[in-house]
Amino acid sequence: MAEASGAVWKARIGIALGILAVGYVMVAGRSTERKYPDRIPVRFWHRWQGDWEKQVWKIVDAYNASQTRYEVIPLSTPGTGSDAKFILGVIGGDPPDVMSIWNGAIPTMAANGFLTPLETMMTPEEKRHYFEDAYPAIRDSGMYKGRVYGITIGADLYALYVNVAAMKEVGADPDRFPETMEELEALSQQLTKVDSSGNYTRLGYVPGNLEYLAHTFGGGFFLGPDGKPQLHTPANRRALEEIVRQRKKLGFERVTRFYAGLNSAAGAAAWPFMTGELAITFDGQWRVEELRKFRPDLEYRILPVPPPREGGAPRGGNISGNFMIIPSSAKHKEGAWEFVKFWSGLDNPERSATFYNYGGWLPLSPRVANSPIYQAWLRENPQFQAFLDILSSENVRSKPTIANLQFLIDQVSRAEDRAIRGLLTPAQALDELERTFREESLKRKELGYVE
Amino acid sequence: MIALGPRRWRQNLVGWAFIAPWLIGFVAFTAWPFFQSLYLSFTRYNIVTPAKWVGAANYRMLLFEDPLFWKSASVTVQYALFSVPLGIVAGVGLALLLNANVRGIAAFRTIFYLPSIVPTVASSVVFLWLLNPNIGLVNRLLATFGITGPAWLNTAPWAFYSLLLLALWGVGGSMVIYLAGLKDIPTHLYEAATLDGAGPWQKLLRVTLPMLTPVIFFNLVMGLIGSFQYFTQAFVMTPNGGPEDSTLFYSLYLYNRAWKYMDMGYASAMAWMLFLLIVTLTALVFRTQRRWVHYGG
Repeated sequence: MAEASGAVWKARIGIALGILAVGYVMVAGRSTERKYPDRIPVRFWHRWQGDWEKQVWKIVDAYNASQTRYEVIPLSTPGTGSDAKFILGVIGGDPPDVMSIWNGAIPTMAANGFLTPLETMMTPEEKRHYFEDAYPAIRDSGMYKGRVYGITIGADLYALYVNVAAMKEVGADPDRFPETMEELEALSQQLTKVDSSGNYTRLGYVPGNLEYLAHTFGGGFFLGPDGKPQLHTPANRRALEEIVRQRKKLGFERVTRFYAGLNSAAGAAAWPFMTGELAITFDGQWRVEELRKFRPDLEYRILPVPPPREGGAPRGGNISGNFMIIPSSAKHKEGAWEFVKFWSGLDNPERSATFYNYGGWLPLSPRVANSPIYQAWLRENPQFQAFLDILSSENVRSKPTIANLQFLIDQVSRAEDRAIRGLLTPAQALDELERTFREESLKRKELGYVE
Repeated sequence: MIALGPRRWRQNLVGWAFIAPWLIGFVAFTAWPFFQSLYLSFTRYNIVTPAKWVGAANYRMLLFEDPLFWKSASVTVQYALFSVPLGIVAGVGLALLLNANVRGIAAFRTIFYLPSIVPTVASSVVFLWLLNPNIGLVNRLLATFGITGPAWLNTAPWAFYSLLLLALWGVGGSMVIYLAGLKDIPTHLYEAATLDGAGPWQKLLRVTLPMLTPVIFFNLVMGLIGSFQYFTQAFVMTPNGGPEDSTLFYSLYLYNRAWKYMDMGYASAMAWMLFLLIVTLTALVFRTQRRWVHYGG
């Protein structure tokens, strides 16, 4: 009898624990608690994490405090799954109201009807400001077929970060940086260090990233006058040949091992430029803010990649980075649009200058860059000016805004990899790239895809 | 035609009610998408706009105009050819060792089983570090023997071999099944073999392995299906298909087509090609079982 009673009690306790567990899961599974439950929610997805996410929260808090109608609720959706999560949100009828995505995905998503044309949200005055004021390369990076689908809140450019102490160590004058690719190669050679086993312990600049570097050679993978991407051009071939030649000279496997051994995955503070393993490196403008935070003592310079002695294009490059989009099926587009304007500075460049400074991001327009707040920040971070100089160069372009841009970028990267590994010559790699892209375009055309 | 009485009806109804949650889930989340994907494989479909019928164009392009399709299929077939036998040999070998009646065997079994319950993404990230050519533990160990280890994930064909190596990491899952199979072999067979003068090696070949064939067959079929669907480790460790496309697995390419290029029709066609291949191979394996699988006991 006592045994039976014990079993009943055990069963009761079990059921009670089960209910508690289910209750906890249900409560814990609820979304973030809202600060302003009476306002219209505007759900904002972005890709930042860690310290960067904290900057996003600051901007969101500033927006929520600036008005009483909307509440922006941020959610970090980082990593490669970000786009897939967004697509699933659209399919499920529950997309965010606004999202920050990589601009390379904009044409594909716009062509497939995922995005709202943002000029439809603009007043005539906003439209005029946007088209007249925004940096052309940044503005064009958010467009597809003449319509605006993405507005920058943090566009990226790349340049060389140069360690001043390392230059002095090899007897080079940090204020007389090489003006040609050839001189840079010689300097990089001086900066290179090896250990007793012949392994690299420090490297200078190792050319790479064909898609970007091609611009410095006067090329680039953009749309030609006939509307077709220009792939195997003499300039692009020269860029790839240079990448391959220098990599071969340094030794493919030795460089690969050196890079693989760098602690670059350990976070911003372990960036190999900060730890001295890279004396010159090619990286984005956001590193200025990281250097300020983690290595304020490190003396460095930022310079554009110098063009080759003949036939180059100084300060060449293309735009990538974070652009705000509003899904076509978003529930609260008006609120989303207000937030986009607030952050990007379309309505108030002076105010948004602070936001761009939070992350060391490139501004939407010279109006933002010339604002007193931005200028004051520049005086504190004078190295950043190099990126603004590059941005104003006519050799900086947007990526080709074609529907299968993602495919093109993957194939350019593949061509570069195959050439570096010696599987194909640079000319063969670009031939293959052009053929692959042409065949893919024909396939898409036959299937009825819009380009 | 036999009419069912009210009691029988009620019983049936209760039965259906019990399996209803699973049945609804199966129809909604497996059966319906399964047949829907067959339809989508004959369309151009980007999720947002309605699917447009394109006939067999996706299949034609896959078979005759897409070199990456063949490349990814070849990588996957090679992986299946090596990983499945390797998994069986390692699983059976480990189970035989862990079937021994020695002190602390339960702890050993747990230790060897544990890796198979570690989430795949977590173990893949750990292996990324282990296989780092400069600071990874594997190359450090090799270096103590004077061997310069390869740049595992950065060069072909080592990237492929690395993933094969990683396949052994989860062998604990099949090991447990083999172990259960070993425990199921009647003792009297070993006693009879001993009376007949069989040594340990003969017992293994004549008793243990034949009696284990149903379990080996099960693991062979499951391993084959799993290896053709191989995705997560390759996605985490070599997301772009690895050096020289050496780890461009079929499912990885399918994923890129669907989610990166938003070509769901094409990806559905790829999924159906994979399905047909798996069904064919499974059927072939089933046809061979009469020759080598022993169900006697």
